[in-house]
Amino acid sequence: MEKIILQQSQNEHHETEIIPESFSETISDSVFKKFFLEVSSLTTFTLRFFKEVFKPPYEFNELMKQSFLIGYRSLPLIAITGFIIGIVLTIQSRPTLAKFGAESLLPAMVAVSIIREIGPAITALIFAGKVGSGIGAELASMNVTEQIDAMQVSGTNPFKYLVVTRVLSATLMLPVLVVFADAIGLFGSFIGVNLKGNVSAYLFFSQVFQSLEFQDLFPAFIKTFFFGFAIGLIGCYKGYNSNKGTEGVGKAANSAVVFGSLMVFIIDVIAVQITSLIQN
Amino acid sequence: MTANASSVKIENDNKQNGHVVVEMEHLKKSFGNNHVLRDINLKINKGENLVILGQSGTGKSVLIKCIVGLVDHDDGKLSILGQDISELKDDELIEIRKKIGFLFQSGALYDSMTAKENLEFPLRRQLRSISKEEMNSLVKEALQNVGLADAIDVTPSELSGGMRKRLGLARTLILKPEIMLYDEPTTGLDPITSKEISNLILEVQKIYNTTSIIITHDIDCVKRTANRIIVIKDGICAAEGSYTDLQNSADPWVRSFFE
Repeated sequence: MEKIILQQSQNEHHETEIIPESFSETISDSVFKKFFLEVSSLTTFTLRFFKEVFKPPYEFNELMKQSFLIGYRSLPLIAITGFIIGIVLTIQSRPTLAKFGAESLLPAMVAVSIIREIGPAITALIFAGKVGSGIGAELASMNVTEQIDAMQVSGTNPFKYLVVTRVLSATLMLPVLVVFADAIGLFGSFIGVNLKGNVSAYLFFSQVFQSLEFQDLFPAFIKTFFFGFAIGLIGCYKGYNSNKGTEGVGKAANSAVVFGSLMVFIIDVIAVQITSLIQN
Repeated sequence: MTANASSVKIENDNKQNGHVVVEMEHLKKSFGNNHVLRDINLKINKGENLVILGQSGTGKSVLIKCIVGLVDHDDGKLSILGQDISELKDDELIEIRKKIGFLFQSGALYDSMTAKENLEFPLRRQLRSISKEEMNSLVKEALQNVGLADAIDVTPSELSGGMRKRLGLARTLILKPEIMLYDEPTTGLDPITSKEISNLILEVQKIYNTTSIIITHDIDCVKRTANRIIVIKDGICAAEGSYTDLQNSADPWVRSFFE
């Protein structure tokens, strides 16, 4: 038997008082509100990461898979970039050093530049472009096509499976890639030195290692973990919280690169300040 | 066990024995000022196929997402298999979700995985001690049940819309859920494939004695699958009955769904 249920009148009109506001006030209010909401949301996301990362079950297989995809698959791009940085930096620096009769300092100068700053920073920026955008687009696409919901419904914690593994992989793989890029960069520098000279590999690398100290290597290596963490976290955050629709995928990928790169510079400034404070 | 806990258990057992598997009382859900679900009262019995009809944007998908905990309801009571889901902890909610299958409108297949891997995923997650042989046999059986035995190594992008829906159904059914939620299972499909999907829904009901909630605008699917139909309007259940009852409804708006 059919049951017809009487409907209540649902026409509720809420009258709102319109307060005249200047256009600039409205814009600044909404920009500030959006900024603080974003910061709050990112903080909650980060705290959730730290809560989930220590809680079993651990997604070890997915972590290995992501480390392979994020680390191993980035090697060719990082190698080419590292080699070009090494060779270009050497060729560009030679005339200036030659002017002051300090051409023999070329290997030392290039080594310190690459190891302390250029290697980590450029590798991190390339990493943000390749891995950060990839993570952002992948998770946003999964969000749009309800794959994340499907995972949740099937009794899997998608945050742990997708976010924790990717952030950890990015954090662990970037330092490895930076060491690799630094090595290839120094090899590129050796080729650069020999384009206009004849320096043996033994002499070149002896000068390189004599010029480097623990305080050059250690802070530069440690900060790459923070670079990797920031890039992975922002990529995941942008993808996981993307808007529905295909536009959301593009925006997530784009903002993952922009904010990931920005974070690399911000962390770099902080790291340099801390390092100089410790060294002084 | 305390007297109170024991009475709750008896009440839960009665609900199972009385075959009420999903129960909603004064369920409400709003998004800002948009009151999507205003007052939903509904009981769904074990083994029943319930179809939810309503215009687009009336909260049908929100309703089934509340059932599975993808969307939290604002007010009212929602019990699944005798458990109030708003009182469940995360781990308990995961356990309840294991008993619920959800066929998404798009299929929601994992793009980076083959058909076989898509089916293995829920098995690996929930039956951690399952052997490779058992898993292969379950995957083959599930694919055969939906007529996709030949598509085992194919990725979702290579499948047609109907095949994606069937693969989605196979992935959902592989864990033999007690409750199936279908979100527009025949949307975007040709009449022949729609008929196949509708028949699959019926087969699932017969073989697994599954309780199903089906959201659809496809009247042929409604006719084939529904034991009972409810019509949602302005966030409340505006009408309820069998296909024939509602087809001959006194309300022209309700009748318009069947014309």
